[in-house]
Amino acid sequence: MAGNSGGPWGGGGNQGGGNRGNNGDGRRPPEGGEGPQIPDIDELMKKGQDQLRVLMGGRGGGGGKSGGGGPRGGGGGPALTRGTVGIGVLVAAGLWALASFYSVKPEEQSVELFLGKYSATGNPGLNFAPWPLVTAEVVPVTNEQTEDIPASSRSTDGLMLTGDENIVDIDFQVVWNISDPAQYLFNLRDPETTIRAVAESAMREIIAQSELAPILNRDRGIIADRLQELIQETLDTYNSGVNIVRINFDGADPPEPVKDAFREVQSASQERDRLQKQADAYANRVLAGARGEAAQVLEEAEGYRARVVNEAEGEASRFSAVLEEYQKAPDVTRKRLYLETMEEVLGGIDKVIIDQETSGQGVVPYLPLNELRKQGGN
Amino acid sequence: MRKTTYLLPVLVIVAAAALSSVFIVDEREKALVLQFGRVVTVKEDPGLAFKIPLIQEVVKYDDRILSREVGPLEVTPLDDRRLVVDAFARYRIADVKQFRQAVGTGGIELAERRLDNILRSQTREVLGSVRSDSVLSADRVSLMNQIRDAAISEARGLGLDVVDVRLKRTDLPQANLEATFARMRAEREREAADEIARGDEAAQRVRAQADRTVVELVSDANRQSEIIRGEADARRNAIFADAFGADPEFFEFYRSLNAYRAALGGDNSSMVMSPDSEFFNYLKSDTGRP
Repeated sequence: MAGNSGGPWGGGGNQGGGNRGNNGDGRRPPEGGEGPQIPDIDELMKKGQDQLRVLMGGRGGGGGKSGGGGPRGGGGGPALTRGTVGIGVLVAAGLWALASFYSVKPEEQSVELFLGKYSATGNPGLNFAPWPLVTAEVVPVTNEQTEDIPASSRSTDGLMLTGDENIVDIDFQVVWNISDPAQYLFNLRDPETTIRAVAESAMREIIAQSELAPILNRDRGIIADRLQELIQETLDTYNSGVNIVRINFDGADPPEPVKDAFREVQSASQERDRLQKQADAYANRVLAGARGEAAQVLEEAEGYRARVVNEAEGEASRFSAVLEEYQKAPDVTRKRLYLETMEEVLGGIDKVIIDQETSGQGVVPYLPLNELRKQGGN
Repeated sequence: MRKTTYLLPVLVIVAAAALSSVFIVDEREKALVLQFGRVVTVKEDPGLAFKIPLIQEVVKYDDRILSREVGPLEVTPLDDRRLVVDAFARYRIADVKQFRQAVGTGGIELAERRLDNILRSQTREVLGSVRSDSVLSADRVSLMNQIRDAAISEARGLGLDVVDVRLKRTDLPQANLEATFARMRAEREREAADEIARGDEAAQRVRAQADRTVVELVSDANRQSEIIRGEADARRNAIFADAFGADPEFFEFYRSLNAYRAALGGDNSSMVMSPDSEFFNYLKSDTGRP
């Protein structure tokens, strides 16, 4: 750690200017430990000297780095003409310009440090940071970055203990970007780890205060909102410069070993539904049948009423008509009615006429009544 | 020419000395200037600073918030139910001088080891003094704050400022995990059985109600039917009485004739009769007169 020449200064000097402003290589300040025993400036100075030599010594100085004296130390170098100086100055100015101008893309912002001290925040476009006094770091600000928690979906890392001592398997995603690049750079050494740890801690805190059923069923939106709030609050206390954009809270499942049992509950509740629906269907069927039957009974009764009354009225009026005629000539009519009826009645049946006066009583006992009936039946 | 050959090395040496006497402290850093190991200056603000070349050296420390995670460690709350806990701390090097004195050249690694010990013991102590169910409740936040406050005072001696301590996992040990799963399964099974039983109950109730309603409907219809029939019969009687009452004697005669016709009609009647009946009045008469 100590060997790593610390600070952006060291890096800047190393690269001689060609690459400054490019932070894609993740140039990071020293990793905590003690700095180098030899201060950076010394190194920088040596490098500067080297550069100077190259620039000024130009063609002749190719092997002259160890020559120790300066451009003309070797004695054999070419004369310092006006032209070579001009070219040298131009090249130096060009390199310096390359080192000092840098561009910031629309989704980025840059942080400029004047001699290591924060001086300004650069907006998208071409920016100027005069090397070596000012260094700049470009940070992607609006880019949404995501942290999956747990990192691998197959482990038991997502298992969390609920308030009612059940276990639930949680899977969510934190989407964040940078709200303040200076704070982001200067206040947290490892922002991703911090965000992950804070998010997991916050989620476990929420889960530990909730019961299993609401987590599984309906409270996901509420949990996601509370989670976002809690993570943001905690990160704000660190002045992290991180903005939580949203929480993607997709997975709150029962843990693998009890999943089947939960499925059984679901199928049981469907079974319950089915039983109730069947019963409803039965009820509908028999009730409809009963209503039909009731209607039939009533209609039959009404029909009976109509029939009986109509018949009675018919019969009565027929009688009244006959009576009216009878009253005009009672004897004749009476006789006629009697005879007509007898004619009709006796005309159709088998009859045996026995004159008691002439044939006496003896016949009756021998009369084969059964035979007569049989014949009559045939 | 001779003059410049001497001048140049001198210039270089002077420039080197000047450059090596300044150093830059980055926004993210704090620096100590040491003279033969003794702390001479503390440079906390970023910017340019000076030191004596060769004699003094600069040591830089990170000024950002650093993180440290401990665990998983098993703690035993008051109710003897063990929990597996891991905690993470956020801290920064607050006092570089004290930090240097506390950890010497061991640097941040030594400090991390010390901090781990502090966090472990504080977590054990705080969580060991409460019941496990308060860890799984809203008290969790205040427990975390207790651990944090204890860690803050302990870590101050190291020159560290603990910003935050949070609990991540508070889980059951593996053995208890299985038992919990078994309990969850049993609860689900009970729930499933309950669902089915309730389904049966509801179905039976609906069926019984339906059956009852059927009986009610049909019997009510029968009752109304009987009432209607009774009314019909009554009406019929009234009609007959009204009509026949006009001449009861004739009615008797008339109705008898109708009854004979209905009762004796058809092929299946046989009759043995005496010619004495009125019908035969003329049958036996020679004169054609009765």
